[in-house]
Amino acid sequence: MVHSPSTTCDFHSSPISAANASDVSDNNLQHFFVLHKAPARKCERKTSSTYGRTKRKIDMLLSSPMKVVQEENDAIYEQVRLEAFENTWSKINSTVKEVLREINLTLFEEIHQWVFESFSTIRCTSPVHIMKPYPIAAGATCKTIPAALIFTKNIEFVDDMLMFQDLKGYMQSNGCHAAFLSALDISTKCGIGSCLRSLYKQLVPEASDVVDVPLIASWYCKDENYDKPIAVIIEDMERCDSAVLADFIKMLSEWVMKIPIIFILGVTTSFDALRKLLPSSVMHKLQLCKFTLESPRRRMDSLIEYVLVRSSSGFFIGHKVAFFLRNHFLRHDGTITSFLKALKLACIKHFSGEPLSFLCPGMLHEDCEAFWSGKCESLSEVLRSYAFDLPSCQRGKTNGDNNLAQGLSKLKWLQKSWSSVVLCLFEVGKLSKIQLLDIFCEAIDPTLCIERALGQQLLPPFTASHDSVNGGFISQAIQKVRELPSDSLCQLLGQWSLHTEEVIEMDKEVKAVHSMINLPSDGHTSKEKQTVNIHGCLASSARKKGTPFLNDEAAMLLVSLLRKFLVPIESVPFHEIFCFKDVASLKYSLAQEYGDLINLHDWYHSFKTKVLISNPKAKRKVQHSPASKKGKSKALENEVARFCKAVTELQITGLVRMPSKRRPDFLQRIAFHL
Amino acid sequence: MAKDGVIPLSPGRKTRSSSQLLPSKPSPQNVYPFSSQTQSQELFHCLYSSEEPISLATLISSLPRRKPQILEILRLVGSLNSPMFPLLIYGGPSNGKTISILQIFRYLNRPFVYAGCRTCYAPRILFDSVLRQLLLHGRNPIKGNSGTKRCEKPSEFIDLLRIALVQAINALREKNLKSGSEEVDRGEMIYLIFDNFELLRSWDKNSNIVPLLLRIHEILKIPEVGIIYISSSTPDAYYLCTGSIEPITIYFPDYTLEDLHGIFMRNQLNPKLYSSFLSVVLKPFFRVTRRVDELSVAFQPLFQKYCKPLVDRSVVPDEAMKRKLFDNLQPYLTVSLNDLFMVLSWTSHQIKQEGDHQKKGIRKSNRKEASNELDFHMSMSAKYLLLSAFIASRNSATLDASLFDSSGGLINRKRNKNSQMSMDRKDSMAEEILLKGPGSFPLERLLAIFQCITSVTESMVEEEKYENGAAIESESVGLTSDVLLQLSTLCNANFICKSGSCPLEGSTRYRCTIDEEMAVRVAKSINFPLSSYLYRR
Repeated sequence: MVHSPSTTCDFHSSPISAANASDVSDNNLQHFFVLHKAPARKCERKTSSTYGRTKRKIDMLLSSPMKVVQEENDAIYEQVRLEAFENTWSKINSTVKEVLREINLTLFEEIHQWVFESFSTIRCTSPVHIMKPYPIAAGATCKTIPAALIFTKNIEFVDDMLMFQDLKGYMQSNGCHAAFLSALDISTKCGIGSCLRSLYKQLVPEASDVVDVPLIASWYCKDENYDKPIAVIIEDMERCDSAVLADFIKMLSEWVMKIPIIFILGVTTSFDALRKLLPSSVMHKLQLCKFTLESPRRRMDSLIEYVLVRSSSGFFIGHKVAFFLRNHFLRHDGTITSFLKALKLACIKHFSGEPLSFLCPGMLHEDCEAFWSGKCESLSEVLRSYAFDLPSCQRGKTNGDNNLAQGLSKLKWLQKSWSSVVLCLFEVGKLSKIQLLDIFCEAIDPTLCIERALGQQLLPPFTASHDSVNGGFISQAIQKVRELPSDSLCQLLGQWSLHTEEVIEMDKEVKAVHSMINLPSDGHTSKEKQTVNIHGCLASSARKKGTPFLNDEAAMLLVSLLRKFLVPIESVPFHEIFCFKDVASLKYSLAQEYGDLINLHDWYHSFKTKVLISNPKAKRKVQHSPASKKGKSKALENEVARFCKAVTELQITGLVRMPSKRRPDFLQRIAFHL
Repeated sequence: MAKDGVIPLSPGRKTRSSSQLLPSKPSPQNVYPFSSQTQSQELFHCLYSSEEPISLATLISSLPRRKPQILEILRLVGSLNSPMFPLLIYGGPSNGKTISILQIFRYLNRPFVYAGCRTCYAPRILFDSVLRQLLLHGRNPIKGNSGTKRCEKPSEFIDLLRIALVQAINALREKNLKSGSEEVDRGEMIYLIFDNFELLRSWDKNSNIVPLLLRIHEILKIPEVGIIYISSSTPDAYYLCTGSIEPITIYFPDYTLEDLHGIFMRNQLNPKLYSSFLSVVLKPFFRVTRRVDELSVAFQPLFQKYCKPLVDRSVVPDEAMKRKLFDNLQPYLTVSLNDLFMVLSWTSHQIKQEGDHQKKGIRKSNRKEASNELDFHMSMSAKYLLLSAFIASRNSATLDASLFDSSGGLINRKRNKNSQMSMDRKDSMAEEILLKGPGSFPLERLLAIFQCITSVTESMVEEEKYENGAAIESESVGLTSDVLLQLSTLCNANFICKSGSCPLEGSTRYRCTIDEEMAVRVAKSINFPLSSYLYRR
């Protein structure tokens, strides 16, 4: 579900777009890119119908800078790169799964505990004559079904589908019967019968078609089934048919003493949704309890931390790509699924476009230098010269030595220290509720001049605090360090020393400050507390004096760490081998992922934005002038006219098909992979 | 109703309140009801109430305020082996109908078949359920599964039912002859009880099922069969359906305040304390609902709250203490009165949680939820689309032209210059719009408004960017995703609903179902000036 098959297919064809992208990377590609490229493709198609694909490939290669590189044992390297990609992506994927599972686990445990608590409450009103088809005459309070509401915090529930499946598995492996009902089961079309059928089929795989509650009851009565609660998971409650769901709940509530059913309901929006969906008489039958999933942003933060910063994968993204992914996540549907899709696409593009990308897995090796020198020796001359011709290498030019492996090792070391520093920043970010994604984007920015960013921080803290909001997230974090109370400062430094353990130079500095903070607090905490109680203000003022000093010390430490070690990957030689920077081609491919239908309105919008951005000054003028309204409407007409003309041209060339009657606001794209 | 009342009689049954009181002493049959040995016994006793029979006195005392109805039913059911006319028992929901019948048969100790139309959600299931219960009884243990054939049609059902009934009655006769004076004579009558009869009317596909079941006594023409219908709707609801003899009706009236007091006072650990609690709580809640189930769900958490300050729950409260306890309860009382139907169930659990363990971060109060932050993620374009839907639903279509100019911008209305007269007229118009509820709109209008509001904000955002001097990204608001995809997302979340197609245009119309509070929250999250787009004063 997470990755469409088309993404994987892309791998083989993507050399084209990647190579393509290198010369248009400054252009910002979007849908209408079709406009520029179409004629060439069109001609090509005509001339080469059968072997078009291969020929085109060669064409593209000829125009690319790495044509010579590619000619030689092209196939072998492609194979190696493919392997490297698979290796890397599977690493990333498993990390992601691990992280997400870890995040959900606490929730699962809570739910599990709650389920068993509810189960025991049901059980303590012990069931009699379970086979009887008539209701047990007991208090009305015993007729309520315990129901957990899981607020998924995102109106899109793609991410949560997996989560609910996992939950089912978790419940089953922890002593519950579990069934999973989707909105499709609870629809008017099929009625209540299909709910029961689906429920029973999941409990008893070889069930027949006609199911009623007594049947479930008699199944439940068997000795091997009897001691477990039945958890019924409904993943997206809002989409269920309210009448059927209400009947279902009423029916089961009559049986809850005999069949201890416990609902777990996924709610994508808010509690109001439930209130609107179910009539009050049904709400009475539910004994609700609320659980909340980690918000998408928090989930994203942990993903960023484990996948991109602690990076055990050997694949990195450039600043622009990171920024794009951030926006894509925040403004788009906010699902991990779409983020991963974009990341995978980036990964694919990187490994297919970068000739030396097969060196990436070296990042993971214990003895990376040995791995790399082994690889580098067998490297063809062409590739070697390609590596040293990389812009980053040319720029650096410090290398008297021509040792690629050493360069790569250095890169690895720099990257390691970079990620250690970023992790330290994250720790601060967690304390002050700054999104880690923002810190990450700032830390990865190659244009980030540490001096400038920190400039204000070197001033006394009180003057700096006013500007800190503008100073970006990193300076906010530093400011936070200055303001921390002493005990959390101590904790923070403890965390830091964990993160910096592997980089010796850093470790020394952190340890020094940490011990400075630890020493006085170790001996005096208890004493000091007492003195505060007894002598009041005297002791506390002494404490006040002490804390800012330590805070300053910690902040200075952070600043010095940032200065020394926060080297964004894009300013390191050879980073091109590991780092994907081509945001344009990523955007383009993502746009293509949406399929062949183009929404006219969207298309027009992106067209307009493009046209307007090309001359922002003119636009501004229009906006501010007193006669803005007229000017604006005229400009608008102009745009619409341009747009219409362009679309018509495309239609005439046969690249798009006109809207059909059924979907009047959609065009069909006919040309792909231009 | 008196569902609480049953407790002392049946050793196996306990509510939470009673379980503390009575040490559990389950009858041996109930301890392992599923072992193979008892299962066959279970089958054999299928047609009887499985509990110990009760005396008339306990029957009546277990169902407070239902004495006249019980006696009436007993009279109509008649003595052993006397045929009876069909009975229709009706009255409001949660009124003690079902429990009365079940208890009566426990007292009579005669065989019966119970079919609840809620559990048996389709005719086929209903037929099946009735037949299975009869066949379980009628069949010889040696013969094995003789009648597992499923029946689909009403006519088949009648045939099978007749066969099954005759079998069962014969079996009863045999048994009575065999046992002689050893066992109590249970008679030769079999009673069919159809509960939740009112639900049958909504099985519209089989509109003939109601008349069929109402006439079943006539059709079968077996005097040894008694039929009892239980319904929460009045007999008028069925008159149209039948051409047969009307069943004899027995009405269960709603409980009065005193009745409810009596019901809730049963089996209390500390009657004095509970009585003082009821004197505070019952009256205000009685105005809202008289259903025992709803009331007992509502009272349970409130009583916990009421008792919280008490160390010893067996204390007999004096006047001062009562007043103190009441003051303590009052804030919760008003809250739960307002939210009787919804939130109470949720708070009830919460209270239990707090009382039990003081853990889990699920203790977000309902008030907090009403803060003005949106607590779930929505994409930018979904937010804009939702707002445009809200605008389209709130404003009438004719007002669009006055709100948006030709280029999509917002016209600044000058409000000060209006005369009093036109103000008044506008006021009444706005009120009318509010009273009418959300209006429906076609897709085209939604998209038009969407385009207008996004074009305005887009230009605003861009401007900001240039002023900041940081043109980092060319992406403006990020409205690149598929609008129709977003629309379906919103439909799934029940924020927008499809409201049937317009008979003239034939296209689907939509309606925005969110309230203003929510819309304001969404608008706030994207800094959208919603109020200037809404037509009012």
